[in-house]
Amino acid sequence: MSAQESLETEHGPRPGTTLEPAAGTAEIDINAPGVTRFDLVREGARRDGIEIVVYEPRVEPGSRLERRTERSVALLFALAGLAGAAFIVAYIWWPWEYPGTELNAFHLQRFYTPVLGVTLGLALFLLGAAIITWVKKLLPHEVAIEQRHDGPSAEEDQRITAATLTNVVDESGIMRRPLLKGAIALGALPLAVIAAAPIIGGLIRDPHRPLPEMEAAGLDLSPQDHTGWHPALNDGNPVRLVHENGTPIRPADVAVAGQVTVFPGIPRGTTNYYADSPALLIHLRQEHADELRGQLYELNEGSMYGNYVAYSKICTHAGCPPSLYEQQTNMLLCPCHQSQFEILNNARPVFGPATRSLAMLPLALDDEGYFVAGTVNDAGELVGSDFKVPVGPSYWER
Amino acid sequence: MTSETPRRRPRGRGRRRLSRAGRLLAALLLVGGLYTAFAPGLAAQDTPLSPTAAEGKALYDVSCITCHGRNAQGVEGRGPSLIGVGEAAVEFQVGTGRMPMARQEAQAPDKPPLWEGEELERNTAALAAYIQELGGGPEMPPGTNLSAGGDPGIGGELYRINCSSCHAYSGGGGALSSGAYAPGLGEATDREIWAAMVSGPQNMPVFGDNQLTPQEKADVIAFINYLQDDGDPGGVFTLGRLGPSTEGVAIFLVGITALLFASLWIAGKS
Repeated sequence: MSAQESLETEHGPRPGTTLEPAAGTAEIDINAPGVTRFDLVREGARRDGIEIVVYEPRVEPGSRLERRTERSVALLFALAGLAGAAFIVAYIWWPWEYPGTELNAFHLQRFYTPVLGVTLGLALFLLGAAIITWVKKLLPHEVAIEQRHDGPSAEEDQRITAATLTNVVDESGIMRRPLLKGAIALGALPLAVIAAAPIIGGLIRDPHRPLPEMEAAGLDLSPQDHTGWHPALNDGNPVRLVHENGTPIRPADVAVAGQVTVFPGIPRGTTNYYADSPALLIHLRQEHADELRGQLYELNEGSMYGNYVAYSKICTHAGCPPSLYEQQTNMLLCPCHQSQFEILNNARPVFGPATRSLAMLPLALDDEGYFVAGTVNDAGELVGSDFKVPVGPSYWER
Repeated sequence: MTSETPRRRPRGRGRRRLSRAGRLLAALLLVGGLYTAFAPGLAAQDTPLSPTAAEGKALYDVSCITCHGRNAQGVEGRGPSLIGVGEAAVEFQVGTGRMPMARQEAQAPDKPPLWEGEELERNTAALAAYIQELGGGPEMPPGTNLSAGGDPGIGGELYRINCSSCHAYSGGGGALSSGAYAPGLGEATDREIWAAMVSGPQNMPVFGDNQLTPQEKADVIAFINYLQDDGDPGGVFTLGRLGPSTEGVAIFLVGITALLFASLWIAGKS
């Protein structure tokens, strides 16, 4: 404050002074005696092409208004300091340790982060408010004019800039140092490839290369065309339906109006390696099962076992798990985009963006009474079977 | 000898008729007796209800009969049959106020029960006994702490594979089709969760003891208890308990909007 006052009283213009425009006038001699500090400031601005035309104090020095403004700025600074101190205090001493399940609505711990945020935010806000008030209310009022040219730069300036730039290129000697030229290409090319990696990287692996397990079985079958239920993955035998922990499932394990998520009972069957395989095994009520049996697609004939039916758990729209089973309305809902599938009509989509029915997994029982994926043929033999149609969203080759 | 043979006196009409009626009566008695002896079902029906169940029947005839029918066989278009739903269903539906329903709608909502305190307990038990004796069905274990010995870690895995699709990862619940919804689990008691699992209320699938063993049920309940008791560290507004990112996004959107208007205001002032 004192520097500001001295500028105004000893070296600056008196209150209410308006300086007549002097742009383009001759430069003053800064070594001349009697040159004030403000004269030097003004001269400096003029040499940069800026003319200060109005310069006056905003408040009368020593006036009541000035003292009041000073006090409010000081108060803002003090409050900012107080909020900052509160932040430090809260940071160190506010209870912060997570008390586990004991935490309730009245624990101070819940407010640790909000208190830090509020105090720090308040401190920064008050600091800013103090500075802005100071600048807007106490600093001298000033109007300065800077002359700017229209259109492009002067022709001389353009020539000078062009020469400077070409000189830089010439200095590096890139034109007569072919080794460096090649080295730059060598060093930068891989970086360019890195930028393209996410886009073209997906093309490296052939999506139709058979799984090693399939190759071992001597089958050249694209992973796009089968799931973990394919009997070839189980030495040609029907694959059992298992829980996520690998235990096989008997009919009695699923209550009427109950459902269970089933995985193929093969090595890695419950892992993401066969992420397209999970199915939802549903035990329908008698009358509902009869209704479904009466309108099975030809493709799905013989796929039910008693009152049990299993549908793929991969939505035909975007691959989410449509496992919201409504046991009274017999609907399967997909949580992602609200597709609804009618369980009693081959899981036909009746609402939402999905357009194809969910694939039905053929069900049968093996010798030990456990569910397997398969059908019984006309000769009465149990034959393992995958889903009859590809599961999940349509893909570009279909 | 023949002369000594007593001569049959022709019987009077009246006596003949009487004899025929006697034979008919004997035949009827025989058939009826045989039927009674060989039809044990009929005999079982006559077994009187236990006093508690009789009390329940009295309540049933007042509050439930309109929609569920005289013998709990259900009324087409109004209410389902209660044969085989068991005491678990009664405890859940009546204990949480879902039954009796105030009106027919997409789903019976959770509301203050018809009775309160001890009366609620006694009446629910009576109705449960009546329905259980009438048609059998899933029963409830005793006690209020059904998560004893449950492992919340295993329960969490079971919850995520069996429950989370409808009740959401942190038990917040969610929408189903046509106005139905899966309720939030924040206030659910151990007994309510158990009863819901074994009876499959409304559109919820049934999770019988063969699918989720009693131990696994205890695990699931232990996990839900953990969700209920778990605090929300670092946040005052839970915002559906979807995680810290939710609060971050919320404050980002609100904060940026506030700053935008603040800067517009400042620009307008100067």
